[in-house]
Amino acid sequence: MNSSEEQSRPAEPRVNGPGTLGSAISRAAGFFGFWLVLTGADADDLAAGLFAAVAATWASLRLMPAQQWSLRPIKLAEFALHFLRQSIAAGIDVALRALDPRLPLRPDFVVYQTRLPPGTRRDTFCAIMSLLPGTLPCGPAAGNGLNIHCLDVTQPVVEQLAAEEALCVQALGGAQRND
Amino acid sequence: MNLAFDIFTVSVVSAGAFFFLAGTVGLLRFPDSLTRLHALTKVDNLGLGLVVVGLLPQANGLFGALKLVSIWLLVQLSGAIVTQLIAGAVRQRGSDG
Repeated sequence: MNSSEEQSRPAEPRVNGPGTLGSAISRAAGFFGFWLVLTGADADDLAAGLFAAVAATWASLRLMPAQQWSLRPIKLAEFALHFLRQSIAAGIDVALRALDPRLPLRPDFVVYQTRLPPGTRRDTFCAIMSLLPGTLPCGPAAGNGLNIHCLDVTQPVVEQLAAEEALCVQALGGAQRND
Repeated sequence: MNLAFDIFTVSVVSAGAFFFLAGTVGLLRFPDSLTRLHALTKVDNLGLGLVVVGLLPQANGLFGALKLVSIWLLVQLSGAIVTQLIAGAVRQRGSDG
């Protein structure tokens, strides 16, 4: 997560996007919009909201420095829809297993080698993975490995994760070359 | 029209409640902490999502609807992150408790 590490990373796709300032403005707009939603855009609260949005932006830039996300809006929308479908499938899958009298579980750990570099993108992928059917990331393994707890290891978990990761990379950009 | 919205709300929120029930059954029946985490995150997220979608037609204007969706997104985000932290801790300790 630290910035020197970010800069030394090879072959990052760069786009002509806004830098830290642009990032600060868009985050502040997002936080302020969130404030408006929470308070129902009450005029008396706007000053407090502006202050809160500035403070939240400062904290977010400290905790998660601005970086180039080569976001592709259409891919991102497709990915969001795909993710929605997958999380519905995940809920139904676990619900059926829980309610099945035979309790069909084959839980175990699988190590998945990710192509995503450590940092925000990998964390995002882990967060997405934890909502996919049957997988739960629980910490790093050796190298670029991630320990994944699976509900059913008879499923082709690694292949599924590789497909998800490819989609995620298409939407968010930023895979690391395997060298 | 209102009747149609009400029927929609009752059926979708009921479906959400069903998933919460299934998640709780999983929490009770699954054998260890990690499998129980699967039950909690995945099923409850779907349950909450259905409850939120079901309540949208009853929401108090656009801000009310956005607030409901924000609750869902925040729960998804915190669920996705906290689950990984708990899973990592359980794995390191190797406890099944």
